[in-house]
Amino acid sequence: MAFLKIENVSIKGISACVPSTVEENRDLPFYATPEEAEQVIAATGIERRHVCPDGTTTSDLCLKAAEELINKLGWEKESIDMLAYCTQDPDYLNHPTSFVIHDRLGFPNSCMCIDFYHGCPGWVNSLSSISSMISASGLKRAVLMVGDMCSHDAGKANREERPLFGDSGTATALEYDANAKPILFNIITKSADGMALARKNGGWRAPFTLETLKADIDRREGLVPASETTDKMDGMDVFSFAITTVPKTLKQLCANFEIDLESIDKLILHQANAMMLKTIAKRLKIDMDRVPLSLKEYGNTTGASVPLTIVSECADEYQKAPQKTLVCGFGTGLACACAYFETDNMICPTILEY
Amino acid sequence: MEIKEFIANFADQFDDTDANEFKAETVFKELDEWSSLIALSVIAMVDEEYNVTLKGDDIRNSNTIEDLFNAVKAKA
Repeated sequence: MAFLKIENVSIKGISACVPSTVEENRDLPFYATPEEAEQVIAATGIERRHVCPDGTTTSDLCLKAAEELINKLGWEKESIDMLAYCTQDPDYLNHPTSFVIHDRLGFPNSCMCIDFYHGCPGWVNSLSSISSMISASGLKRAVLMVGDMCSHDAGKANREERPLFGDSGTATALEYDANAKPILFNIITKSADGMALARKNGGWRAPFTLETLKADIDRREGLVPASETTDKMDGMDVFSFAITTVPKTLKQLCANFEIDLESIDKLILHQANAMMLKTIAKRLKIDMDRVPLSLKEYGNTTGASVPLTIVSECADEYQKAPQKTLVCGFGTGLACACAYFETDNMICPTILEY
Repeated sequence: MEIKEFIANFADQFDDTDANEFKAETVFKELDEWSSLIALSVIAMVDEEYNVTLKGDDIRNSNTIEDLFNAVKAKA
């Protein structure tokens, strides 16, 4: 079992940045009637999404979020030992984007860089790695950036995906702290169902040919419908996985570490869709007033959705008071990554726009 | 597991379709109100009522409500 108990690491702050360009779901071209758009909005809970304009990448958003966070914390760049970046949408195929960010932030050569490649469970998954390293290694400070720009791959004519995905970038500051309460994790993997969320072409198992590359670009531009040969999101499989596995994995975490669900201030779930999240909360018998939703304004921002929701919905509460937080990132893998952590008046600046 | 009760539970996921439309032999995907979102409600209902996890293929490979009932029954 992947239960992790990480001692002596404190989450000192979280920041988030979204592009200023907004795409309204009510204005999407493929709804025949306004009622149809309203139905989709009612079920998904997503009214609009912030999307990167061409030329902007999620590393631009993460960079802005990180700069704000470091400034607010008063951290000297020279005091940061590690910079980590988790995305499915790197700036370049090579080199890893953490190096691009390291350079643009003007971080010192003494700071190491590490990249993670994860989807929706990305923030929780990377947090387990980075906090473990700090706890075990002597590293003092790290900044973990998580962001994606899935709106660009959703396909402009894809009725199932385009209304869902928004873009964002986040930064999380971690520090060695002998007085910190442990960060607790439970991470499970259901790789047999992994192809329910997959993007096959363009990697080395299925390198682009002239035809598949053209089909992929046309799909992105909305000139051809989404097909099995390019992207795949089996919404029904993912929904089944989420409403069964997420409550179970969270309950295992709580049982293993004797966490009382009643004592939790916030349950922050990956923002997939409102109906899914309400079903999960109901199964855990947690009222929705403890389950903040950011998807109305920002949509599904994949790996960044947990820290984005903390910033966009609860920044004040996290800044002003200690919080006991349960989080869960789930999806791509398929995987479900749950964590519990306590913060004490952490730095949580108002959401930024790029 | 009774098909009558399953049909009633299935019908509960719809708002606008007349209750008389739901029969064992109803081809549910041809109902005007059927949508991918109702499919998600059906998956949640089956998990809740029958403790069975349906997959996308179970819905895709079923034509009638009875087909779906049989898929649930096979997994129960």
